[in-house]
Parts: sequence; C-alpha cells; structure tokens
Amino acid sequence: MNLTPGRLPSYEFLLPVLRTRTTREIHQRGIMTKQMNRKKTIFLVRLMVIITTTYFILFSPSTGKGWEIYGYIFIAAYLLTNLVVAYIPEKYFHDDKIFYGFVLCDSILLPAGIYISGYVGSDLYLMFFFIISLTTMSSRYGYLMINTIFFSIIYGWLLYQKGVLTGPMAGSYLIQIPFIIVIAIFYGYLITTRLRDKDLRINEARERYEQIVQATDVLMCIVDHDGKFLFANQKLVKFYGYEDERSLSGLNISRIYHGDEPEAEKSLSYVKSVYQNNKMVQYESYDKDHGVWFANTLSPIRDPSTKNVFAVCIISKDITDRIEKEKKLNDTVALLIKTRDQLIQKDKMAALGRLASGIAHEIRNPLEVIYMGVDYLENNLPDDNSHLRESIEKIFNAAERADKIIKNILSFARQSDCKITQIPLCPLLDNVLTLAEQIIQKNGVGIKYEYHDKLLEVAGDYNMLQQVFLNLVNNAVDAMKDSNEKRLTVRACKKTVTEVGYKTGYRRADYFGMGEEMIVVEISDTGKGIPADVLPKIFEPFFTTKPATVGTGLGLSIAHMIMERLSGTIDVESRENQGTTFFIKLQPKMKATEIKEV
Amino acid sequence: MQQKIKVLVIDDEVDFCYFVERNLMQTKLFDVIIATNGQDGIELAKSEVPDVILLDLFMPDIPGEDVADALKENTGTADIPVLFVTALATSHDVVDDAENKIGNNYILPKPVRTKKLIETIMKILNKP
Repeated sequence: MNLTPGRLPSYEFLLPVLRTRTTREIHQRGIMTKQMNRKKTIFLVRLMVIITTTYFILFSPSTGKGWEIYGYIFIAAYLLTNLVVAYIPEKYFHDDKIFYGFVLCDSILLPAGIYISGYVGSDLYLMFFFIISLTTMSSRYGYLMINTIFFSIIYGWLLYQKGVLTGPMAGSYLIQIPFIIVIAIFYGYLITTRLRDKDLRINEARERYEQIVQATDVLMCIVDHDGKFLFANQKLVKFYGYEDERSLSGLNISRIYHGDEPEAEKSLSYVKSVYQNNKMVQYESYDKDHGVWFANTLSPIRDPSTKNVFAVCIISKDITDRIEKEKKLNDTVALLIKTRDQLIQKDKMAALGRLASGIAHEIRNPLEVIYMGVDYLENNLPDDNSHLRESIEKIFNAAERADKIIKNILSFARQSDCKITQIPLCPLLDNVLTLAEQIIQKNGVGIKYEYHDKLLEVAGDYNMLQQVFLNLVNNAVDAMKDSNEKRLTVRACKKTVTEVGYKTGYRRADYFGMGEEMIVVEISDTGKGIPADVLPKIFEPFFTTKPATVGTGLGLSIAHMIMERLSGTIDVESRENQGTTFFIKLQPKMKATEIKEV
Repeated sequence: MQQKIKVLVIDDEVDFCYFVERNLMQTKLFDVIIATNGQDGIELAKSEVPDVILLDLFMPDIPGEDVADALKENTGTADIPVLFVTALATSHDVVDDAENKIGNNYILPKPVRTKKLIETIMKILNKP
C-alpha cells in the first residue's frame, strides 16, 4: 500500500499511474512542479514550528541559570536543519527513509524546544499536531505511530521531570499524551484508508489498462526525449526478441533497428520533432530484419500542469499485408493499363492494316495493268528504237517502285501479327549479314563482329527483328559508298540499366526498369554520318535522304515501330564524316505483362 | 504444231484482261478467252472447258472463291486448275509456298509480269 513513485511496478500505463511514474522522471531531472512538492511543505511546516518555538523560547520566564544560551543554540540548530532541507533536492524527500528521518528529527527537536522554552505542560504540546500532519504526507501508518509514540514518551518524560504529574493537576496533564496518540491514530487511519481505497482503484484501473495494452496487436512503447525506452508492451518486447521489458529499459529505440542506420535516424528525428512541436506525427517504416512494414504513430505525452512534452508514446501497427495488397493492386492496375494500351495499339494497327490492304489492292490492280502493258509494248517495239526501250524501262521501274512502297506500307501496318518468342541473337545477326552478303561484298565493306556472349537471347519476333537489322545493315552499307574506310561493326552485349533515360528508369512506361538487364545490339558504320539537323527526323515515315528511286523513307520508321512493339528502343549516334551507330535495346526475356499474341 | 493452251481469264479489270490476252496470244502458245464477271466466267468455263483458269478474287458479282467452288462442283470443270491472280495483300504471304497453292487452287500476287505468269501456268500444267 504505497504510492511512492520510486516503488511502482513496471507496467503502469494508465494515466494516473503514468503521471506518477513520469513524475519520477521529472523529479530525477530536478524539475520542480506544483504537485506533490514535499520539500516546500516540510520546509514551511518546520519554519512555523521554529518560529513558534523561537517565540516561546525568547519570551519565556528566565530561570536565571544561563538557559538562554541553550535556547539560542537550539534555535540556531533548528534553523540549520531547515537550511539543510532547503538545499536537499526535492527527489530525496520522496525517499521514505529520508523523509521520516526528518520527521523523526522533528520529533526530538520539538519536545526539546518546548523543554528549553520552559512551557512544558502548557498548550504548546498542540505543536505535536504539526508533526502528525507532516507524517501523514506519506502514507506509512506504522511510521506515523512510531513517531507519535516516540515524541509522546519524550514529552511524558519531560512532564515527569517537571513534576507536574504528581501534583493536583496531574490528571489534566496526563490526558495530553493519550489525546495526542488518539488523534494520531484517528488521523492516520483516516488518511491511510482513503489512500488505500484510492490505491485500489488505481490498481484496478491500471490492471485494466495494462491488459488492454498487453492484449493489443500493436507494438507500443514510451520513450524519453533521447529515444530511450521508458516502457514497452509485451508485443514489442517479443517482436524484437528481448526477454522482458526490463532488458529493453534504458536502451535507445535506434538499437532495435540494428544495422538499419537511416531507419534509426528517422525514428529518432521523429521523436525529436514530437518533442519540439508538441504534435502527433505519423509515418511508415520498413523493418528490414523482419520484412515488416509499420505504420507508426508518435504522440506526445504532456505534463498535466505545464503541458510540456515529457515522453513520446510510439504505437507501431504491422501494415505489411496492406502494403503488399496495395503493391499487388498497383501492379495489377499497371498491367491493366499496359494491356489496355496494347489492345488499343493492336486495334489501331489492325485498322491500319485493313486500310493498307485496301489501298494496296486498289493500287496493285492498275500497277498490274502497267506491268502487262509494259510487257506488251516491250515485245512489240521496233528493234532499232533504243529510246523507246529505255522509256519503257523507266515506266516499269516507276511502277516497281510504287509496288515496293506498297509492300513497305503493308509491313508498316501489319505489326499486329507479331509473335514474341525467345530468339538466339547471334545466329539471327549472322543470318541478317548472310542475307546482306551480296551488297556488302559488292561495296567492299569489311565486317567486324563483337559478340560479348554467343549465347545471348532476346524476346522478339524473328521476322521483325530480321527486318530491323537488315534495314540497318543496308543503310550502313549505303552510307559508306563514298568512304575510304568501309567497316561495318556489329556488337551484341548484355547490359544492366544504371541510369534514367529514354524508356529506362523507374516509370511505369519504361521498358527497362532500373537494375534490370537489357540486350544491346550496336550497328556501326564508318560512313558519311547523319547531319545534326537531319538526325531528329530519321525515324519519321517517308523521310529519306536517299534518291527517290532507291529509298521509300519507311525503313527506319518501321524499325522504330517494330522496336516499340517489342518493348525495346532504337537510338542513334552520328558524327558527320566519321560514321553512325545505331543502338537497339531489346528485352532479354518475355515479360509477364506482355500480351501473348494468339 | 503443238496444241495451244486454252486460258480463261475471269477478271473485272478490263485492261488487265486486254493485256493478258495480247501478251499470251503473242507467244502463240495460248488461246485466251475473257470473262469480266464471275457469272460469265462460270458459263464460259462450262462451255469452253479451258486448260487453266486465271481468276480474280474480288469481283463485283461473285467473289473469286465462290466462282472456284462452283467450278469444282461441276463435273465438267472440276478438274480445271484455277490460278488466282490477285492484288489482295495477303496473297504475298502465300506466294512463298513453292507450289503457289492455296487449298486446291493456285495463287499468284499482282503485280506480276508476263514472264512470271507464263512460267506459273506452265508449272501448274506440268509443261516445260
């Protein structure tokens, strides 16, 4: 049955208990508060006792035996003890031994004072009620009775010394002692019973709150302004693998983050901000060691009188499930958006394909008439007319060019027929160079292969990729027609994405995420290069620098479109009169998000 | 003198028919009959029984495929090989097939030059 803060059990959490507990924290830091200021009370009560005693000593009837000097010494000694009270820090008065030490000291000094003043047997004995009141400040009934009996005996002895116990008024003097004792018993009983009831109620409430705190599914703790644990619930203690709350007390919360320096710093800075701003803070954190996400709420615990923050309550709720669900949801949404985009794209391509097919049909019919007409004219030319023969040749070439454009438009439009599979890259590149062998040899171009790994694979459509590479090889050979050095370099390697760039990075629309792998094919020539003003236009449809009879201006735009379809990219770097390099970045594996073409 | 090959051209593109006739006749190897719609084509095929039929796929009255089916159903014309000469884009994809076959019929994409047309006809008829 005690309420002294120093003797509280470890799990006080409810507000009254917490107040007591944290008051101890305050007292330990030497902060004075209005509540429970024992030191001041003791000091003042003693001062009153001293003043009263001094008054009676100074104005007592002189015995003429030099007693005055003892009176002054007594007053000085009593004042000195009160000076000691003034200088001893508040927290010591909450230690029962020290507190009752002072009271015991008073139990001796007060009868001594009465004796010196010569008023033994007078109403001055009522001063003992000061001591009884003082004693009831703490709730130790036993100590109160010891003190009471102690000074009662002394006072009884003084009365006996004075000889009043034998005179005719002996009864009225003798009654003083039991009177004091009865008052002390009654007063002490009243106070301690009340305190016991209060204590019981507090204990009940504490147990209730304790159960709530321990039964809750969240990690809960209270830390001081340095982040040191003052309290932690069982859930938290167990979660971090400690034996009991005591092994955590005094530890810094940053300790529970083990090796995760940034998380530890973050948690401490939040604790500090709660202290500074006196406001609740919420944040989410990730515990690497346990693989758990937490939603943390840091609330200030304020001193009821000053409203200053003296502790921070941290409640951490495991939200891993929610985060994972959110993540899955986000992934699903991203997949849906991508699928939708691909479907729209596919739909567009299909429409374009139908349109192109219609146009092709309508143009090829007249072309056929031209072909046949040209054949007829050719067969019926007079043998000696070379001009006519040449003219007919030109007509045929023009018609053939028209057909070539149609073919290109059709292949441009027919991207919906794409079948993505895992393709061994190097054999594909070799095949492309074999297909282009004729023009490569005709132009005297040397080929340099730089395959970092012969076993590289890419996710793509074989025919489409062949078309892209063939187009680039043809362009490269064309670009080197007038060069002295004619060298075509084909490189293939695997790279890891390390920086944000076109279609690489963290965005949803990026084909290559940070840290992911990509296969890069580089096709370099030592040709005339592409002028800077032309460079941005080279992927536009129908843009060409080649003579109209040679190029249709669709090759690179088709290549660009194909790369988009394959979730890859095509970039170019060029220096005039030095050469051009095309970079083709491809997916190493089919992604789960890819729509499977049927 | 060698027996001429009788070719029936069924195509709504009149100018195409005109030049096919001219070019094939000039070789002295072919006799050419022309029909500019499907219905006439079927009639002519039945009455003339050509060695080979050049057939367009897109025609205003009866689509080329239906014409081919009708010919197959008729015992008199069922064995006549049909060569689709068509500007339909998809025919380009089929042409890689060495046999030029599409089902029981053959296919040749437009535009095509006379030389290639004659070669294909000869191949279908197994003639040198």
